[in-house]
Amino acid sequence: MVLAIVLITIFASTVRPAFLSGRNITNILRAYSTIGIASIGMAYAIIGGGMDLSIGSTISLSAVVTMLIINATTVDTVSPWWAALLVLAVGIAIGAVIGGINGSIMAIVNGRMGESFIITFAMQIVVGAVAQAVVQGMFQAAAYKSGLFKQFGIGFVPVVFFVGVAVVMQLILMKTKFGRCLYFLGANMSAAKMAGIRIRQVRLLSHMLCGMCAGLAGVLVVSRVNSASVLQGQNYELDAMVCVAVGGTSMAGGSGSVGKTVLGVLVIGFLLTALNVLGVQSNEQLIVRGVVIIVAVILDTINKQAKLREVAR
Amino acid sequence: MQDYILEMKDITKTFPGVVALNKVSFSVRRGEIHALVGENGAGKSTLMKILNGVYQADSGEIHLNGERTVIRDTIDARKKGIGLIFQEFNLVNTLSVAENIYINRLKTRRGRVAWKEINRETQLLLDGFGFNFRATDKIEDLSAAQKQQVEIAKVLSYNAKLVVMDEPTSSLTTSEAEKLFGIIDRLRAEGITFVYISHKLDEIFRLCDTATVLRDGNIIETRETKDFTTEQIIERMVGRSVDMEYPRRNCPIGEVVLKVENITRTGVIRNISFELHRGEILGIAGLVASGRTELAEAIFGAERYDGGAIEINGKKVAIHSTNDGKRHSIGLLTEDRKETGLVLSYDLIRNITITNLDKVKRGPFLSARLEQELATRHAKELSVKTPSMKQFAMNLSGGNQQKVVFAKWLFSDVDILILDEPTRGIDVGAKYEIYLLMNQLAAAGKSIIMISSELPEVLGMSDRLIVLSGGEKVGELDRDHATAEAVMALAVKN
Repeated sequence: MVLAIVLITIFASTVRPAFLSGRNITNILRAYSTIGIASIGMAYAIIGGGMDLSIGSTISLSAVVTMLIINATTVDTVSPWWAALLVLAVGIAIGAVIGGINGSIMAIVNGRMGESFIITFAMQIVVGAVAQAVVQGMFQAAAYKSGLFKQFGIGFVPVVFFVGVAVVMQLILMKTKFGRCLYFLGANMSAAKMAGIRIRQVRLLSHMLCGMCAGLAGVLVVSRVNSASVLQGQNYELDAMVCVAVGGTSMAGGSGSVGKTVLGVLVIGFLLTALNVLGVQSNEQLIVRGVVIIVAVILDTINKQAKLREVAR
Repeated sequence: MQDYILEMKDITKTFPGVVALNKVSFSVRRGEIHALVGENGAGKSTLMKILNGVYQADSGEIHLNGERTVIRDTIDARKKGIGLIFQEFNLVNTLSVAENIYINRLKTRRGRVAWKEINRETQLLLDGFGFNFRATDKIEDLSAAQKQQVEIAKVLSYNAKLVVMDEPTSSLTTSEAEKLFGIIDRLRAEGITFVYISHKLDEIFRLCDTATVLRDGNIIETRETKDFTTEQIIERMVGRSVDMEYPRRNCPIGEVVLKVENITRTGVIRNISFELHRGEILGIAGLVASGRTELAEAIFGAERYDGGAIEINGKKVAIHSTNDGKRHSIGLLTEDRKETGLVLSYDLIRNITITNLDKVKRGPFLSARLEQELATRHAKELSVKTPSMKQFAMNLSGGNQQKVVFAKWLFSDVDILILDEPTRGIDVGAKYEIYLLMNQLAAAGKSIIMISSELPEVLGMSDRLIVLSGGEKVGELDRDHATAEAVMALAVKN
C-alpha cells in the first residue's frame, strides 16, 4: 500500500516535478481529508458487516445547515468563534441522529449487509430531500470572509481533523470492548450472538459513529469550499467505499482497520491527483479508478489466502 | 425365489476416522414397506445417500431388479426409479406446485413454456392421488402435510418405483400422519415399494411389513414386523457393547442453582420444568428435533420463550438476550462450534476472551498483553494443543476447537454450562478428555446440562437425566434407573 503511494509519487513527479512540491502534497491531503473522515466512518459500518449508503446525503444536510448557521451568525463578514464550535456540534449531532436511525432499524430487523444496503439507501433519499427542503434548492454562498470557521478549511487544519479522527477511531476500534465486539459482529453474527454480545447495541453504535463522521465531514467541506449545496455530498458514499476497499478492508466484514482505510484514502488521493497533473482526461480517469478498485480486491483475496496457508503450516 | 427390487450387498463406507457402514447388506422385496430403524448416527442416512448416489460406497454392490448397477449421482438414481423424500422439504416456497414438480423439465411450445399443459398434467397427477390442493397453489400457502404430498407427487412423476421416506411424520399431526399412511398403503397397492425410516416404533408396527435394525454401521437384524416386539427392536437399536469407560466422579451435589418452570415456546417446546443442582451433570436425552436445542436456547436467551419462568439461585430472572443469559451466569456451548461457537478466521486469543472483555481491560482500554496472558493460561489449563495462541481457530482439530469453546466460556466465569452435543465430530481420545473436563468442572462447583444424541454418553455422564419428545418432557430418570431401554422407550413414545 505504502509502496503504491511511493510509486505513484515517483512516476508523477518525474513527468511533472511540480507534483512533489510541498504545496501540491498539502493540497492533496487537504482535499482528501473530508473524504478520509467519511471513509473512516464507512469502515466502521463495513467492519461490522454492514454498509452505509446514506453518508452522501448526511454530508449534504450537515453542509447546508452549517452554512445557514454560519451565515446567520456572521457580522460584518466576520464569523464569530462560537459559531464554528456550534456548527461542529450541530453537524456531528445531525450525523449521530441519521446514523442512529439507520442503526436502530438495522438492530430491529437484525440486519446484515443486504438489509443495510436497502435501509441506508432509503435513508439517503429521505435525508437528501430534507436537505433540499432546508435550503429550498438554493446554492448557499459564504457571507463571511474571516473568523474561526474559515480556519477549518485552510492549510493543515483539515488534515489535523483527519488525523485526530483517525487516531480516536482507531483507538476505539482496536482498544475497546465495543471495537472488539464490532469485529465479531462483522465476522460471524451468529457466533457473536452466541457469545453473549449485545449485537443490537453494537450495531446501533457502529452506524451512529459512521453518521457522526459524515456529519463532521459535512462541516469541514463547507469551510474548505466556502459554499454549500444539496449536492455537496454527492457520491461520497461511493468514494468512501472505494477508499475502504482499496485500503484492504474486506467487504465481507470482520476485518480491516482505520489505519488501512487511511492508506486507502492516500492511495486514491495521490492517484487521482497524479492523473490530473499528468493531464489524463476525466473519462480515462474513471477507467483507472475502476481498475484500481478491482485490483485492490483481487490483491486482498490473494493476500488473505497466502496468510491462511502460512498459519496452517 | 424372492423378488427383490433392491439388494445392497456388503456395502462398506468409511469417512476419515469412522467406519460409517461395515459390510451392510440390505434387501427390499418388491411391493413391501420396509422399515429402517436405528439410533442417530447408526448409518441409516449414509446408506440411503449411497442408494441415492450422493455418496459412492468404498466396496459392495447394488442390485436393482436383480441386475447389478452403479448409481453415479442423484439424477442417475432418479432415472433408475429411486425417489427420496427427506425430512426437510426440497421445495421452492414462492413457486407453484406445478412449477416445483416440473421445474427442471418444463415443456415448451415454440420456445415458450406451456404453462397450461403443465398445470393440467399436474392437476391430473394430484387428482389421481386425491390430494386436495391445486397445481397452481403456491407452496408457501400449503400445510406441512400438503408440502409432503407435493414431494410424493414429485418423485412419482419421475416414475419412481422405490420411494425412500426419511422421518416423514416428524412435522405432521396425528391425523395428517394417518392420512399419509393411507396414501402409502394405496401406492403400495399400485406397486410402489417403500423404505420407511422412522424413530416412531408404533408407526413401524402399524405400517411396515419388514424391519431392519442398523446399529453403529452394522446390520443387526432383519425380520418381519409381526415377529418383532417393540422391546426387541429397542434392545437391538441400543444394545451396543459399552466400548468405552466413562470416568467416574465423586463430588457432592449441592443446592438448586437453576430452576426452570413450565418453559414454553409455542410450537417448539411445551411446559418443560426441571431443576439443576450445584456440581451436577444433568443429561437431556431425546431424538433429533425433540426440542433439546430449543430448550437450551430458550434458557440461554438465544430464543425468546412465551411462557414459564427461570429462577437462578432462588431468584426469578428475566432472560431476553444471550447477554442476559451470560450475566445470569449461563453459558451455552452450541452444537455447531464451527458456525456459532467460534469465529474460525480469528485467533484463539480473540475467541477465548470475547465472553468477558472486561477482564482484560487496563483502565478503559483492552490490554493486548493481559489478553494474551489470560487466554494462554485458560488454554493451558484445558491442554489445548496448538503451536501458538495466534493460530486461527480453523486450523485446530475438532477436539481442540471444542476445548477452545470450553475455555471461552470458562473465561466468562459462568456457573451454569449448557453443552449441546459437546463431543460431536471429535475422536474417541478427545471425547474422553472432554468427559474428564466435565467431571473437573462439576467437582469445582459448576453445574452442567449435557445434551447428546449419543445415548451411552448421556447415560454414562449424567447424574440424572430428562427425556424430551415432541417438545415435551416425557420423563426424568436418576442414575440408577437410567438405562438405554428406559430412555428409548420414553423417547419414541410421543
